[in-house]
Amino acid sequence: MSCIVANLLTKSYGSIMAVDGIDLSVNSGKIFGFLGPNGAGKTTTIKLLTTLIVPTSGTINILGMDAIRHPLDVRKKIGVVLQQPSYEPTLSVEKSLEKYGMMWNVERKTRNDRVEELLSAFDLQEIRKMKNDDLSIGQRRRVQVAREFMHDMELLFLDEPTVGLDPSARRGLLDFIKKKVKEGLTIFFTTHILNEAEYLCDEVAIINKGKIIAVDTPNELKNKFGREKTIKIRIPETKKDVQGLLIDVKDYEIDFNSGTNITIRSNDSEEVLLKILQILTVNNISIEDLSVMPTTLEEIFLTVVKNSNASNN
Amino acid sequence: MHPIIRLVNRNLTISLNKGFLIWQIVFPLIYIFVAGFAYTSLIHSVPFGNKSLDYPAFIASGMIGFNIMNSTLISGIIIWNDRRHGMFEQILVGPFTRAHYILSNIYTIGIVGLISAALITAVGYPLFFKSVEFNFYTIPLVVFASVTGSILFGSIASIISTRLQSSEGFNVVINTAFLFFAFVSTAFYPAQGAPEPLSTAFYLNPLTYLVDVVRAGIFGNFSTFVGIEMTVLVVVALILFTISTKLLSKLEI
Repeated sequence: MSCIVANLLTKSYGSIMAVDGIDLSVNSGKIFGFLGPNGAGKTTTIKLLTTLIVPTSGTINILGMDAIRHPLDVRKKIGVVLQQPSYEPTLSVEKSLEKYGMMWNVERKTRNDRVEELLSAFDLQEIRKMKNDDLSIGQRRRVQVAREFMHDMELLFLDEPTVGLDPSARRGLLDFIKKKVKEGLTIFFTTHILNEAEYLCDEVAIINKGKIIAVDTPNELKNKFGREKTIKIRIPETKKDVQGLLIDVKDYEIDFNSGTNITIRSNDSEEVLLKILQILTVNNISIEDLSVMPTTLEEIFLTVVKNSNASNN
Repeated sequence: MHPIIRLVNRNLTISLNKGFLIWQIVFPLIYIFVAGFAYTSLIHSVPFGNKSLDYPAFIASGMIGFNIMNSTLISGIIIWNDRRHGMFEQILVGPFTRAHYILSNIYTIGIVGLISAALITAVGYPLFFKSVEFNFYTIPLVVFASVTGSILFGSIASIISTRLQSSEGFNVVINTAFLFFAFVSTAFYPAQGAPEPLSTAFYLNPLTYLVDVVRAGIFGNFSTFVGIEMTVLVVVALILFTISTKLLSKLEI
């Protein structure tokens, strides 16, 4: 079942089309990654879906409700961590969690339990008495994300939630999100840290210049756009003219830095590899190391955005 | 719990910190007890209706209006801080509407204004108890002035907080405006006897009307003129409240 459905959604500011006729469908219980370069329209899309701004045209259905006609009903069922920091400067960490729960009408007993649970889960115990104003950017971000879990929700929008977090806090947050999804939560997640999206998302959409240019699972995107694989072969120093031996082979690069490194980048990388291995074996050249670099979502992202920009031009 | 009550609870929690409370109490106390008694040698008595008030009693009653005005600064500060620290957007993606947000601010300043008035009335009571004429009709006048004055000055603070972008600009404008309201009014000195342009300026200032109504409530000196002042307060408060509500409704995210 889809919990977000948007059709022909547009948002323009004067002559600037921030979101340009996008269609979206996000299934319940999944993590949907929304990727795009800076200024692509990610945050505007989140603001539209969370009812913070009204679209110029198009329809939005969130959890079965018309988000344009019934924004308050939608907001009661969703959680939102916006990209920009938000905090009460005069409140302590634990007090801001508790007050946020109160604002969401969570019962006092449940509030107190959740404060303790979230202080532990987000590693905030040591700073629980500190005022938000005195926290570092990363600590404040952790509080901001933790705070959103004070209330029940069916769908959570996270707009670049890991900005400012150190690697361990980032991994902790991603694992916490995965746990919540297993419990039934749906996540709409924007980031431009692509290994995060790869680690977390069941499905991703790539937006560029206000238009969605690709939507699929990370694996399917790799199959579609990432056939080119990178294979690296390292051989010891040799007096033989390796470059001369490989003269008939295409799609490879060679450099001589503490030995010889051959890098294959090809859509037919296995075939190229086979040819090189045959030549090396015939010439009695041993192999020190051989590694296959899997195509990353980052490479696909760059390819897709580059193709999109090229076709626009 | 109703969303507005939840937001009022939140507003009071974030606003009523120790610094604000101390400022709210200590500042008027200095005026009442230091300036009040220091000026007694210069101002022996102030005519007020059919009474003659001694200066400490006059300034103590003026401080009630002054404190109501000062306390409503929190309305502007709440909006300003919410915009600056991202809570305005965060609240609006939560289970609240802009109307909830606006009304919660009004209730908050109404509550703070009333508490503030009660506090200064209690503190100043020893100074004006000789002239006090509290009764069934006069106490509502003080409550009316507290609530209407809170809405009026709270709306001014809200308008300033929605129009200005920088914190320096906000502080300069709000301090200048409130300084003008405080000292070009009858809170500290009577209009009678002041140079003509100044006494006219007093009556271009809503704090004068607020203070006059508070004094009429405390000293039981209701007159037709006070009735007109009450009407002016209500009309100005409504106009400013409408403007601030429109500005908040249109505030871009």
